[in-house]
Parts: sequence; C-alpha cells; structure tokens
Amino acid sequence: MTQQEKRGWLGIGALAILFVLAVPVSAWLFNIRYTYTLATVAVGGAMLGTVSGALGAFAVLRQQSLMGDTLSHAALPGVAVAFLIAGRDLGWLLLGAGIASWLAAHFVTVVTRTTRIKPDTAMGMALAAFFAVGIALLAYIQQRPDASQAGLDTFIFGQAAAIVQQDVILISVVGVVVFICLALFWKEFKLITFNAEFARANGYPVRTLDMLLSTLIVVAIVLGLQLAGVILMVGLLIAPAVAARQWTHHLGQMVVLSALLGAVSGASGAILSALDQGLPTGPLIIVVASVLVAVSLAIAPGRGVIWTLRQQQRDRQRFAALAGLQEKP
Amino acid sequence: MYALEQIIITILVKFIPIEQLNAALSDPRAVAILIGALVSISTACLGVFLLLRKMSLTSDAISHTVLLGIVVAFFVMVGLLGTEADLSSPLLVIGAAAAGVLTVILTELVQRSGLVKQDAALGLVFPLLFAIAIIIISRYADDVHLDTDAVLVGEIGVAWANTNSHCFDNCDDVVITPDHPRAEMGRRCINCSSGGITPRDPKAVFEEVCANCGTYSAAEAWRERLIPEPPALVFWPRSLTLMGLVTLLNVGFIALFYKELKLTSFDSALATALGFRPVALNYMLMTLVSVTAVSAFDAVGSVLVVAFFIIPAATAYLLTDRLAIMLLISPVFGALSAMTGYELARGQLLGILPISDVLVFLDRTVGLDGYTQWNSSISASMVIMAFLFFLAAWVLSPRYGLVAAALRRRMQRQQFADQMILGHIYHHQGRPEAPEELAADRLHEHLGWTPTHTRLAIARLRTLNLVILEDEQVRLTPRGERVVSEFLHTQLHAGQPTG
Repeated sequence: MTQQEKRGWLGIGALAILFVLAVPVSAWLFNIRYTYTLATVAVGGAMLGTVSGALGAFAVLRQQSLMGDTLSHAALPGVAVAFLIAGRDLGWLLLGAGIASWLAAHFVTVVTRTTRIKPDTAMGMALAAFFAVGIALLAYIQQRPDASQAGLDTFIFGQAAAIVQQDVILISVVGVVVFICLALFWKEFKLITFNAEFARANGYPVRTLDMLLSTLIVVAIVLGLQLAGVILMVGLLIAPAVAARQWTHHLGQMVVLSALLGAVSGASGAILSALDQGLPTGPLIIVVASVLVAVSLAIAPGRGVIWTLRQQQRDRQRFAALAGLQEKP
Repeated sequence: MYALEQIIITILVKFIPIEQLNAALSDPRAVAILIGALVSISTACLGVFLLLRKMSLTSDAISHTVLLGIVVAFFVMVGLLGTEADLSSPLLVIGAAAAGVLTVILTELVQRSGLVKQDAALGLVFPLLFAIAIIIISRYADDVHLDTDAVLVGEIGVAWANTNSHCFDNCDDVVITPDHPRAEMGRRCINCSSGGITPRDPKAVFEEVCANCGTYSAAEAWRERLIPEPPALVFWPRSLTLMGLVTLLNVGFIALFYKELKLTSFDSALATALGFRPVALNYMLMTLVSVTAVSAFDAVGSVLVVAFFIIPAATAYLLTDRLAIMLLISPVFGALSAMTGYELARGQLLGILPISDVLVFLDRTVGLDGYTQWNSSISASMVIMAFLFFLAAWVLSPRYGLVAAALRRRMQRQQFADQMILGHIYHHQGRPEAPEELAADRLHEHLGWTPTHTRLAIARLRTLNLVILEDEQVRLTPRGERVVSEFLHTQLHAGQPTG
C-alpha cells in the first residue's frame, strides 16, 4: 500500500467517524428527537444510500449513469403487476420491480444490437414506454374499490414514512448479499469496468459479468425506489459516485467513499423529510447529494475547480517570473 | 391568444353551424384526440433531430426541468403580479424555455469542467432541478394548484372542459333599468322595522325597488330569460390554441432551417467550417424542445412527453434513410398513436381486442377480484400505442426489421452453402479422387456439415439445374459449370494479386 493510498483510507475513516458523531451533535444543535420511527427511517435511508452509492460508482465509471434513470422508471409496471398478483407485500413488489427493470435493460441491449438505434434513444424509449405501461396499470388499480392500493404512488416520488422495521431488515439482508457479490467478483468487475476488451481477450465471460453487475445495479435501484421514487432514483445512484470520484483515483476507495456519501445523503434526506409534513423524501435526498457533489467539484484536492484555478494562477506567475528573468541580460 | 381564437372561430363559423362546432368542441373524445395529435406532431418532428443528434435523453432532462420553470412562473404570476394562475399563460412558456436552456447550459458547464462525463452531468443536473420543483410543489401545493398526478400524466381527458367562450351574436350586455319593460318592480316599506309598524299602517312609507336591475352578460341574460334569443357562444378549449401554435412554430422552424439542421445534425464540424452556427442552432432547437414540452405539459404531463419526442422518431428511423421522409413519417406515427391510444384507454386495442375480455380471462386464471373494468390514463395509452407501432416496425421494417434481417442471413447462408458445394464439385470433378469425394451420401463428411444441411443444399441446387445426381455421384450440369467459372473469374480472383 502506497503512502497516498494509506492517507486516502485514513481520510475516509475519519470522515466516517465524523458522520457518526454528527448524529448526536445535530440532535443537540437542532433539537431533533430520535424517536423509534425516525431512527427506523434514518437507518433505512442510510442502508439504501450505502448500497446504491457503492453500485453507482460502477455505473458512473462505465458511463452508464442514465441507464439508472431508465431502469428506475421501468420498474413501475413491475410494481403494479406484482401488486395485482400478490397484494401490498414489499418483497413481491420489489421482485416485480426488479423483473421489469431487468426486461428494460434487455430491451435496450437487444434494440442497440439488432438495429442502428443508438443506446440513448433506446434508453429513452424503454424509460417512457415502460413508465406509460406502469401509469396505465396504476390508473386501473386506482379504480378498484379496495383501499389497499394506498401507498403505491409512494413509489413515484418516494416516501420515507412508509418504511417500517421489516423493510429495513429486508433492505439490510439484500444489501449484505450485494456486498458479498461485489467482494467475490471484485477483480472481475474492476476489469470489465476499465478494460472490457482485455477481459474478453483473457477469457473472462464478459457478457455474464456484465449482466451480473447490471442485475446488482437493478437491485440497488429497486431497493431505493421506496425512498427516492422512480423519477429521482438516478440522482441517488450517481451523485454520491460523482462526488466520491473527485477525491480519489483508487477504485476501492471510491466505492467505499461513494457508499459513505450515499448513506449520508439517504439518512439526512430521510430525517429532513420526516421533520415536517408534506416534504417528499426523494427530492430532499437529491438536494443533499447534489450539495455534496457541488462541494466536491469545488474543493477536491488536485482536481477541483478551485484547485485548478489556483494552479493556473501559480503557473501564470511562474511563467511571468521566468519570462522576466530571461529578458534581463 | 384570445384574439387569435376569435379569428379562427370566425372562419370556422362560416363553414360549420355553431351547434355542430360546439358539439365537436365539447366532445371529450374529439378534443382529446385532436390535442393528442397536435402534441404528437409537434414533438415528433423535433424528435427526429434529437435522435439524429444523439440528444434523445436531453429531451428527457428538459421535460423534467420544465417543471421548475412552471413552478417559478406560477409564483411570479401569483406572488408578484397578483394574477390568477393559468396553465396556458405565455409567462409559463417563457419560464419553461428558460428552465430548459438552463438545463442545457448547466449540463455543459459541469461537463466542460472536465471532472464529469456527459451522461453523468445530465444525470446530476436534471434530478436536482426536478427535485427542487417537487419540493416547492409539495410545500406550497395550495398556492401552486398543481398536483403530482397532473405532473406525471397530464389531463388530456378534461382538456375539452377548460375553455374560453367566444360570442358571435346577441353578445351585448343587457342593462335592466327600472323603466325597462322586463324590470320587476316591487315596493318596500322603509320605516317599518325602525318604526315598529306593519306595512298596513297608514304611516308606512314605501319606495319603488327593482328586483332584477343591473348589468347582465349575454349568457346570464339568456339564463334569466331577459332576451328572446340565446347568444351564439363557442366554447373553445384553450390547449387547442396553444398546441396548434406550437405545432406551427415547430414545423415553421424546421421548414425555415431545414438545410442548416440537416447539416449540423450530420456533420457539425463541416457546418462550422462553412460558417454556420451549430451552437446557436442547437440552443434554438433546445428552446423549442422546452416550449413544446411545457405546452404539452397540461395535456400529457412531464414524464410521458419524452415518449412523444422519441418513440415516433425511432419508428421512422427504422423505416427510411431519408431525412425528409423521416420528418413526414414520424408525425404520422405520432398522430396515429394519439388516435388509437384514446381507444386503448377506453378499452379497445386497435378496435380488434377489447381489453375487458383480457381482464376477464386474467380474472379467471390469476384472479383480479372480479374487477374487469378498464378505464385508463389516456396519455399513457397513447404512449403504449406508439411503442406498439415501434415494435411492429422493429419486427417488420423491410430494410432494418428483424424478419428482414433473418431472411437476409438465411439467404446469405444458402448462397454460401451453394458456392461451397459447387466449388467442391468443380475442384474434384474428373479427377482420380472424384468417386470418393463426390459420393452424394458422404458429401457432408468432406464439407464438415450436418447431413440434413447438405441434403437440403443439394436438393436446392438440383432444382436450380446446377447439379445432377448420377450413380449416387454429384456432378455439375453445363449450366452449373458456367456459374462456377463465372464466379471464379468475377468474384474469387477479383482483387487478388496476380501470380
């Protein structure tokens, strides 16, 4: 481990401790009372942010950020069909969402492979068409006389208050499985992210690995739907990753930092929305995550905008000084 | 806007009786289909250029952020100007255009910092702007008069009810004064309650009062039967004017800048070199996309409008290689899906398959608790129809369709098999190894194919009279020999170095 890497890990560790300490400090500063409900919502938000932050790092590095947008919109018909078949059971709803997103991912791949339509158009089509099917089904469901459909539209904008302890347990279990997969296939995922051609030449099953990674991203999106909603899920997926990317050049550090920033956005967004009536969770999470991105873009060492401007100024001064030296005989 | 409607209606009234015109304009089906078609046409022709410029997802981003422009414009209208909030105000269009251009500028800023790739830049900017809009809406829902349902799917189904009324005959206000023949005069005691006396008391003082005096608009006057004839009113749906204008604007823009758009879409560098301004044109296009998105907003919502931009354009892209034809086909598919989509929402798939039949079947097999009524979102159904048309084009397109591609591959495989067999026979025919190499039942071993594939290929060649079977041996017919030698000279040796 190089000196630089060691410093990076230390920084991430310090940041993690800082965030944990922020909980009692903010409770004392802003007079937040962590009731049982609020704690559940906060932990749920943090777990979801962790999973989507970690997987978002891969989506951003593979330049598939907007695939997240497509997949999350495409989950809606799955949620509706699952509700029609199995009722309002979170496990089934998430399974339905996963299948629908997965189908959309396949649609995009197949359309791009068999026609001359570019991936961006294919993604836009899958997004809108699947979403329309979802909306049509929701309209049908809402006409049904039984009242149990209440809460299905929380999937559209996300609602933290809908999260209960069972959901947190489900999210945690799935999250652990996701992280085990990441750890098991770490080397392979790293390879297909940075150099898929090399991986193929070395005999790795790139298509299968690709599919596995996409499936994991689908899982992250589907878990996040309840909190952030289908429209804004893409923000929770990529904003922490973009922020993390500014601070490090090391994949491991980026994934961990992205997970950490995701957890912070998820938890603080969820807490903020639980503080007052009528504040939707998804949008608040996105605002928090976007602030993190803006700060990172501005001050990241060696990369950020402020650093670059100062470097340019220093270069200009040095150049002026050198030119001045050369002029004098 | 109002004056424009007045002119259009004046012209229409010359040809159609007012009763018929009103009946058509208050028919939810006709209005929804007409507005859906206008939305489809205005979006689909811009969508062609978005697709060609690989900016399809920019339309997604813009259609989301337009919402922020709408919300801000609402606040300006209600808070600063004190006017009534109105979804078809020109201020909304300005706000939305500003928000759309802001999205594009912000995305380019983030991207140009070199720290974030293009896709991620788009994915950072539009969720943030959309999130801010949603927070404002849910926080100040009472002031904004927008609910999240309208944001998602729009209200094309009730567009017919949101009208401006225009009057053509008997329009004058009616003023009833006490000396008007229809004035209802009465007498009222003015000192009865204060003096504690009854109206019968001789000391009671009376005054003449008019019960119905005042100014009546024509419609009110007719309701009160103050005028003999009803005023000739036309109720004109407001979205119709806005969408019609936007459609004209988009079509006009494309007609005017067709050459420039074509050049910058296919070769931006050449356009710059020739002295055109691709950047300026790009911003004009983006402004139009924003204006179109906001005008379509109260009809189809902010998410589904993406489909109207992209899907018909993609369908057209699979059917033709020519830009001009693509620009014609794409709106046609858009309008078609608007028409069939309305019927789908009301439960008829292309007039063939009633959705309730499907629901009854599903109810019997998986169980829907007996709820088999289908009455769904109109805008979503229009998108579904557009998508079905795309799927049909994808499968059936004569040049790029899946069926055509499969047939082409099959033909190539056959051609290749034919050439291999002909070549094999030509090579060994009349030589000592021929009996062994050309035995019909063992040919597949020499070619390394399956027996069936070989048998089918030989049968095909025999029907084409290129090959005959003699004593269980394959031989070339004279025609076959001619084909092979021609092939050898024109194809195989062409382009090869001599000697």
